[in-house]
Amino acid sequence: MNMSSYLLGLIQVFGGIILSPILVGVIQQLKAVMQGRRGPGIFQPYRELKRLWGKGLVNVAGTTIIYKLAPVISSSVLVIAICIVPISSRSPNFGFGHDALVLVGLLALGRFSIAASSWDTQNGFGLMGASRDIAISVFAESCLVISLAVVMLSARSSDLRTMISVTAGPERWISPVLPLVLISFTVVAITEIGRQPVDNPDTHLELTMIHEGPLLEYAGRDLALLQWNMAARHWIFLVLICQIFLPHGSSTLVQLIALPIVILALCVVAAAIETVVVKMRVLEVPRLLSVGTVTAMMALLALKATL
Amino acid sequence: MPITAVLVSGIVLVVLGGLLALLVNPKSANYIQACGTCALLVAGFYSFVATRSVGARFTSNLHPQVGLDPLSGFFLALLGIVAMPVLVFSTGYFDSSTRSRLLAWLSSLFLLAMVLLLCARDPTLLLGGWEMMTLIPAVMILVAHPREPKASRAVWIYLGVTHIGGAGTWVAILVLAGHHALGGPSSLHLAYGIQVLVCVSAIIGLGTKAGLMPFHVWLPRAHPIAPAPVSALMSGVMIKVSIYLLVRILIDWLGPVPMWIGIIVLALGALSAVGGVTSAIFQHELKRLLAMHSIENIGIITLALGASLCFRAQHELVWASIALGAALFHSLNHAIFKSLLFLGSGTFEKYLGALNIDRMGGLLRKLPIIGVSFLVGSMAIAGLPPLNGFASEWLTLQSLIHVSQFGKMGESLAGALALVALAVTAALAVLCFIKVIGLVLLGSQRSTPYSKAMEPTRPMNIALAFLALCCLVIGVVPGLVFGYLIHLSPWQGSHRLSTGLYLPGGDSLPTLWVTGGLLCLVGIFYLARGTKTASESPTWACGQDLSPRLLWTSSGFSKPLKMTLQTLLRPSRSINTSELGNVVQKVTYQSSVPHHFESHLYAPLHRFMLTQAVRVRKLQSGKLSVYVSYLIGLVIVALSLIRLGVIR
Repeated sequence: MNMSSYLLGLIQVFGGIILSPILVGVIQQLKAVMQGRRGPGIFQPYRELKRLWGKGLVNVAGTTIIYKLAPVISSSVLVIAICIVPISSRSPNFGFGHDALVLVGLLALGRFSIAASSWDTQNGFGLMGASRDIAISVFAESCLVISLAVVMLSARSSDLRTMISVTAGPERWISPVLPLVLISFTVVAITEIGRQPVDNPDTHLELTMIHEGPLLEYAGRDLALLQWNMAARHWIFLVLICQIFLPHGSSTLVQLIALPIVILALCVVAAAIETVVVKMRVLEVPRLLSVGTVTAMMALLALKATL
Repeated sequence: MPITAVLVSGIVLVVLGGLLALLVNPKSANYIQACGTCALLVAGFYSFVATRSVGARFTSNLHPQVGLDPLSGFFLALLGIVAMPVLVFSTGYFDSSTRSRLLAWLSSLFLLAMVLLLCARDPTLLLGGWEMMTLIPAVMILVAHPREPKASRAVWIYLGVTHIGGAGTWVAILVLAGHHALGGPSSLHLAYGIQVLVCVSAIIGLGTKAGLMPFHVWLPRAHPIAPAPVSALMSGVMIKVSIYLLVRILIDWLGPVPMWIGIIVLALGALSAVGGVTSAIFQHELKRLLAMHSIENIGIITLALGASLCFRAQHELVWASIALGAALFHSLNHAIFKSLLFLGSGTFEKYLGALNIDRMGGLLRKLPIIGVSFLVGSMAIAGLPPLNGFASEWLTLQSLIHVSQFGKMGESLAGALALVALAVTAALAVLCFIKVIGLVLLGSQRSTPYSKAMEPTRPMNIALAFLALCCLVIGVVPGLVFGYLIHLSPWQGSHRLSTGLYLPGGDSLPTLWVTGGLLCLVGIFYLARGTKTASESPTWACGQDLSPRLLWTSSGFSKPLKMTLQTLLRPSRSINTSELGNVVQKVTYQSSVPHHFESHLYAPLHRFMLTQAVRVRKLQSGKLSVYVSYLIGLVIVALSLIRLGVIR
């Protein structure tokens, strides 16, 4: 543990917890600009969080402790996930390790608690969203696991730091493995952060919503936590794309300097996709994710062929 | 020898408890049986942890021999840790009628049969214990449901399927004994053909009894119909004893088996895991749903076992012992949470008088201890951190990734497909159990009012809370169990004992830290959330009252999945609308997901057997002249065979 390691850890936790709402703000603002609107500015998510934090909670009649705990558990899970996802190959261990499969399990726990909350309130819209979210997660989880597994195979470890250092350097991009896994992981990432064409974060229309559904019964600080959750998911998945699946340097300094630039570029891409592509039908999403899974399988075969 | 003394006293207590049940009353008898199983747990645990063996070694001779070694000890401990709470639970579950006495006595016999099978050291006791273990549950189901055609049909299917399939077990054990290879290193000299024969028959025979797809048809019929404590023993222990024999034969007694056997085991495991959980999602009866999940979990265990066989064929012995440890670990975990869930469903059945999950609801508030335990069990079976199910599924996932890593192209693809199957299974299990806890525990009461036929008693609460605590403790310190499991492999696997799981290659699951971190953060966020409540308000239902008719059902929640998997599941649906003068009077909607194994595999097989039986019956015409000609023909064939020198 030296000074740079502490600094990296600090950036990782600070970035994941405090800076992540900016990502959502940037995408919103860019989208507004691309669509010819003025936009609310990139700090709008903070204003919303501040407003919600000052408001009172809603106590839904007939609910159990699960309703109160769901946003809390889901936020705790994401804080641990932020600690697990390293921003560089020399990030410090917070005690939680850096295992990719633990990350998958933690995300499932978060999803479970949110879906449990909608069963607790018995809100029809919430359950509609939760049932879609979980049905889609069946395909998303397989795609996520297999695309991470391909990188694990080349790293010979499921430690995300090892995975970052193994995929570093431009020579990795001569083989088709990483480009193929990038495709499949991007599909999962879009699903998990609830962006178009899978989900539309700016609408509450019940026919199309997935992630927004279970949020309907919450208010005040609960809702603030849940909105922060979505921002934290953006951080986790964008960092993973930057540091593992996109080309990145092998030295810590290069990785650190490139991180904000590449994340910003990814935000531009996300905003452009939201502007150009229409949302797909809910039941088409599993098909998209299956394509992702097959792509990752092809990457696996390519990896075996090149070894 | 202390182990022998404890083991014998445990068996004596279980026998005594059984007899007391017949003579005095089943309640006190159940406590004595529970003490006996506690002694079995201690003996098994000591033998497992201290790697002590007592009694005879395995022999191929037909002289009855008994003994205990660490592997048997582990499964004995598994039996004890499940049977003890189950028997304590039974004190509150059964009344003191004659039927309950008989059931208490029979459960003693059932436990003894499984102990016999675990301690048997020669073919006669092995096969004797095996048959008893198959027959006694059938008797128990018939005693519990006398003169019910549905129950007797289920029992016949159970006996039929397990006996036809179980023939494989006889073949495997007798062939091994015939080659003096029971428990010996002499099995290394077995010919390739013999080895394959033993493998295939063991997989069919033991897979049938364990509920492995496609031999599983008996399981979803027999398990739900038994009384809840018996279902818990069947799902928790009995199918694990089959896994014990499978591990003995495939890993302990046979040498390295060919790679393709490992791949087949992987494929069967993947089929069971995905198939079991997919059918579970569309069940409406809680115990039947849980029985389907047993198939899924046996699939996960088999996946890990298959991975172990593949590693052994690839000469990766370190990973072979890790994958074997994962299989055994998941067996233990599944035994714990599945018996917990079955006991919970038994409580709900007594409390509500029905088991249709669409008619439950709000039980978390009505039965807090049972409810919270059931919630813990559901999260464990769904493989969520930081509970025990996640630890063993994590190990299995790691094993499958390494099958991919060490193998060539084809093996690698097989490992990757198995990996995808396990990931899908885990996600589907989350779907299924979020639905179960949502419908059973959360929200408000649904259609039927509580009949409150019986409130759970204190022993029932204690039994469930104990099992839930086991899920939590094993989930927080999995390394303490897994470290010893590594040593059970016939190859010296080494593992440093720690609370979390650490594998070669730097893969780590620091469960203690994750659990501690989660608890601290939950506390912090809960305090930060505050209690500034604006108002209590009803759930928003577009301005209507949220009447029970508007509530979501299990079919509604699983509908998106059913629609996406339409081509695979081929669900059937029918809507009937009755109109009177263009005004719709009544709409009936029916939908179901058929069991394709039954309609496409077993039904044609059944029909084929019946038509063949009709043909064979023609031989038995009843005419004396025909029988005389059969005899003459037999004599001629026998004589000519002797003349040719085939028979001496």
